[in-house]
Amino acid sequence: MQKPIATTRSATGIPTGRLAIWWVLASEVVIFGGLLASYLMFRLGHPEWGNAAAVTNTYLGAFNTFVLLSSSFTAVLAHQAAENGDGKLAAKYLLMTIAGAVIFLVVKGFEWSYEISHGYTITSNGFWAFYYTAAGLHAAHVIAGAIIMAFIAAAAAKGRELHRVELIGIYWHFVDVVWIFLFPLLYIAK
Amino acid sequence: MSQHTEHKGGHGHHPDYKKIYFVLLGLLVVSILGPEIGIVWVTLITAFGIALVKANLVVQNFMHLRWEKRIMKWMLATSVVLMFLFFAGTAPDVMKHEGHRWINDSALAATARGIEAPHHEGEAAAQEHAAGVAQDGAAATEAPAEQAFDAKGAFGTVCATCHGPTGAGNGPGAAALNPKPANFGDAAFWEGKTDESLVKVIREGGASVGKSALMPAWGGLYNEAQAKALVAYIRTFKK
Repeated sequence: MQKPIATTRSATGIPTGRLAIWWVLASEVVIFGGLLASYLMFRLGHPEWGNAAAVTNTYLGAFNTFVLLSSSFTAVLAHQAAENGDGKLAAKYLLMTIAGAVIFLVVKGFEWSYEISHGYTITSNGFWAFYYTAAGLHAAHVIAGAIIMAFIAAAAAKGRELHRVELIGIYWHFVDVVWIFLFPLLYIAK
Repeated sequence: MSQHTEHKGGHGHHPDYKKIYFVLLGLLVVSILGPEIGIVWVTLITAFGIALVKANLVVQNFMHLRWEKRIMKWMLATSVVLMFLFFAGTAPDVMKHEGHRWINDSALAATARGIEAPHHEGEAAAQEHAAGVAQDGAAATEAPAEQAFDAKGAFGTVCATCHGPTGAGNGPGAAALNPKPANFGDAAFWEGKTDESLVKVIREGGASVGKSALMPAWGGLYNEAQAKALVAYIRTFKK
């Protein structure tokens, strides 16, 4: 099949796919950055939010941080394997990364169902509104990333489109970085 | 063949990922242990300082930004600068609840409510509270909010903004107001004032008794009993 010319041409000297993913992330920085900056200013202006933040479970948050850091590790190993031309190994590492995404979402599901069943919902107050919005937007990114990764892993296992392994990896690390900031904001600072 | 041409553009830099991964895990442990020490600034450093270090490690090594072309770094830096610009432009209005010529009543009220009744929205907390009240036996019929009401605290967080911490009508919000807020230390103020009229002013605002409309209605924040408690408290300022 003939490839669109844009995938092979590069005016900046950066492969087009990689330039595109960085563009996506530059806009994501503003989306998540704006959300977290808003959270921060409200949190500083409303000391009483500390009471609500005290309800979140630091250990579950820490466990999920561990899961995401580990999945970033396997994502970068997949990238290394892809650059060495080993599509099968890259696919294996990508599947491990997807497993990390699933574990992360299951833990999140437990947390949310516990909190919601105890009456802490998105309409409870400002803190919980931000909590569910920020963590929910992040979880949506985890879900989207895991689905795209499954397609890329399937192709990589057959040795096709190996450069995409790096691209999904860059996106995945960004999702990890967002969580690195969400963890202290929502779980540690009481 | 495109993937080969694309790969030529790849960097082929691979630092010791395992080492970086273990450093990240070590930093995670420190950020969890930080708050255990119980000193605020230590927690801030271990929580947010380490988050910055971790994010930087991931971005530089896992995302390979350190080997990326300079244009990419500028692109990302632009996004980050826009984020700070947004924060700097918006934060003063949100973080402060009063200024030279404005007062954010609802933010002040929310702060006061939050401090008076933490976990107010939580069902579990409400049950705990109810259980505590029930143990009290006689007090079980009263609403939990009245139980916990602290008139002095409420005055300090809400009323003192204009009326001043000592009720002298010289709070930080007073400068912008004309007529000036009532001075509870002034004997003239108390002439002809009854508890009922003061409760009405607190709950329905100054305009309800023909006084200045700059005194807002706090009925949404304080019920009858709480307003009475406030009146009792401001009577202590009378000289």
